[in-house]
Amino acid sequence: MLKLNQDDNIVSIKDAVLCEVARLAFEGRLDEEKETLPYEMIPGPKAMFRCCIYKEREIIRQRIRLAEGFTPGGDTSSQNVVQVISSACEECTLGHYQVTDNCRRCVSKKCQSACRFDAITMESNRAHINMDKCKECGKCAQSCPYHAIVDLTRPCKRACPVDAISWDKESGIVRIDEQKCIRCGACIEACPFGAIGSRTFMVDVIRLIRSGKKVIALPAPAGEGQFGPGITMGSLAQGLKELGFFDVYEVALGADLTAAYEAQEWAQAYKEGQKKVTSCCPAFVNMVKKHFPTLLPNVSTTVSPMCAVSRMVKAKEPDAITVFIGPCVAKKDEILDFALEGNADYVLTYNELRCMLEAKDIVLKPDAPEIQHGSIYGKRFATSGGVTAAVVQALKETEECADVNVMVCNGAAECKKALTLLRAGRLPADFAEGMACEGGCVSGPGCAKFEFDSRKDRQALLAQADDRKIWENLHKNVDTDAFSMHRE
Amino acid sequence: MTVTICIGSSCHLKGSRDIVSRLQTLIAEHGLNEQVTLSGAFCSGNCVQGVVVTIDGEQVHSVSPDNAESFFQNEILPRLAQ
Repeated sequence: MLKLNQDDNIVSIKDAVLCEVARLAFEGRLDEEKETLPYEMIPGPKAMFRCCIYKEREIIRQRIRLAEGFTPGGDTSSQNVVQVISSACEECTLGHYQVTDNCRRCVSKKCQSACRFDAITMESNRAHINMDKCKECGKCAQSCPYHAIVDLTRPCKRACPVDAISWDKESGIVRIDEQKCIRCGACIEACPFGAIGSRTFMVDVIRLIRSGKKVIALPAPAGEGQFGPGITMGSLAQGLKELGFFDVYEVALGADLTAAYEAQEWAQAYKEGQKKVTSCCPAFVNMVKKHFPTLLPNVSTTVSPMCAVSRMVKAKEPDAITVFIGPCVAKKDEILDFALEGNADYVLTYNELRCMLEAKDIVLKPDAPEIQHGSIYGKRFATSGGVTAAVVQALKETEECADVNVMVCNGAAECKKALTLLRAGRLPADFAEGMACEGGCVSGPGCAKFEFDSRKDRQALLAQADDRKIWENLHKNVDTDAFSMHRE
Repeated sequence: MTVTICIGSSCHLKGSRDIVSRLQTLIAEHGLNEQVTLSGAFCSGNCVQGVVVTIDGEQVHSVSPDNAESFFQNEILPRLAQ
């Protein structure tokens, strides 16, 4: 049992729950013991993180439900993977822009002249913002020479790129609009109280492994660097097999497939004068589906690397159960779309995997036999600009027009801007790469490590990859006639 | 119409994947791709009734690979005709 203490933060509380749930699931004791788990984790009598032990235990209870794949509050109608842990929401009573004590009531009144909505008046000792007039443009805060105006929007709401977050007027507890939410998981990372989380398939995967099924792990290209120095895809594969996975295929191989077919699609679209956007980031695709539906024909029909490698595995082994493991929350949503035949059956995050390894006391070792299924181009899919670079490489390899003009959209805000331009017919590029997480998948909300902690190790590990080309890799290792690489 | 099929481990072991492919075939055969969306659902805890299938988020149906076709005939088709 992991003991929580006062110095623990959200990450360690969340991980402790995941780890305990995984441990009990592996031992086949989850159903009998999940009721007592909150009492074991929060023995009391003193509260450590919140007002009282009863609230703390309720938070643990709701987190256990999330780890099991349920909604925290028992609402069975919600199919959203991103869920509010209501007991953990602190109902932040923050306004939006507020004037602080730093205001000197200066003579120039830059805030007043910056405000286009006439919302700022001068009171006896400081400026005042009239909330009925304020449009939250932020110009006043930018203009103040004393930094006296602060943006106090709720962190979850500020993080949401599609304005899907509001709150209950009476209780103040956050609500996520499922119709608007693109499942990117930005709010999960943003909440300082850890009050938003994602449902997991961890228990399902553990139960299938225990039932003796042929469960195959598909680790995403963000994997290198997630588990420290020297932990290669080979090390990861060894650990996954110790956990009970039957076999392991790198999703970087699927990334090679996606790059190769996306290149063909781009070349064709280029000849026809049609603009295309990438289809591998599920949060970006959700953004198009829900907020720019008229642009759906512009999304390339090539399937994502996850779907590609899962189809490849199932073409060879029809009874395989494929489990994608990556840094992404939105991927958990992609598999709920049955229109994508042969897609992965389950999705885990690298963080969930780390907790599962810990639950089984498995330590990843640097000296494991090396495996490399994907090219270096496929491996770099996980970084902003990586998809573009791989598609351009595939175009070069087939001697197609490689001088295409691509716009790399790094993060949801840039994605939204590019899609707005495309809808208006003013996108300056022929193609756009969309990644909802800033920096790419390596900064995803399901990472086992922050990007700045994993960067150095990742670079060192990627430097060891051989220099095989994309098509060379596919010709050698994949029977591309055995499955389709397109959506329909 | 949205038909959701539970993908939890218990329903998986009872053949949810077979049900999905049977329903997909039936929907395609009847030319209903535009009218019926099949999607996966997280476990709702009703494992004893599995495989758990819901139509437009309403009542839970207990479907097996063997009765998937009659479920399609008796539950999906009549609702579309309404």
